[in-house]
Amino acid sequence: MILKQILTARFATKVTIAGGAIYVAYDSGLLGDGKEGSVTLGRAKAAIPPAVEEWVKYFGFELPATPKIEFSPLDAWNSGVQKSIHALSVAPSTVSDYTKQGLKYVKDLTK
Amino acid sequence: MSEKELGQKWDRCLADCAVKLGTGLGLGIVFSVVFFKRRTWPIVFGTGLGLGMAYSNCQNDLRSHYVLHSKVAKEE
Repeated sequence: MILKQILTARFATKVTIAGGAIYVAYDSGLLGDGKEGSVTLGRAKAAIPPAVEEWVKYFGFELPATPKIEFSPLDAWNSGVQKSIHALSVAPSTVSDYTKQGLKYVKDLTK
Repeated sequence: MSEKELGQKWDRCLADCAVKLGTGLGLGIVFSVVFFKRRTWPIVFGTGLGLGMAYSNCQNDLRSHYVLHSKVAKEE
């Protein structure tokens, strides 16, 4: 009897915890539309640095400063695409030039 | 659809994907710990659910430009 009550109470606690987690996720817009999701991500990004600072103050140690990496993947990708396409576009004329040079060199050797 | 609008939609898609993956992972961890004795499959299932929701949202968002919207006039 008591064991049954304990088991029921334990199950009820688990259901409450899981249900609460789902409700919190639903209420904060995490399970909604794409627009809500991006808004929530923006809010989270804005909330993290002050939260981290507060925790650092509370625990009393300093985090090392994040190094500023000046690398833009977008610029690197775009320049890579431009260079590849340019190389492809000049490839026929470059190959023909090199072939002519090679043939001329061989002709000069056989003279 | 203009390129700017398309770019914004893709940005929204990626942000939503990150949010949904994180949420699915989190809820999967909660369920795994609370109900399923710390097994791996609820975590994988939750992550998969999140990814699926993000894919579906993205699909709707990208298609919404081409879907015909109509308004029913109210009869007075």
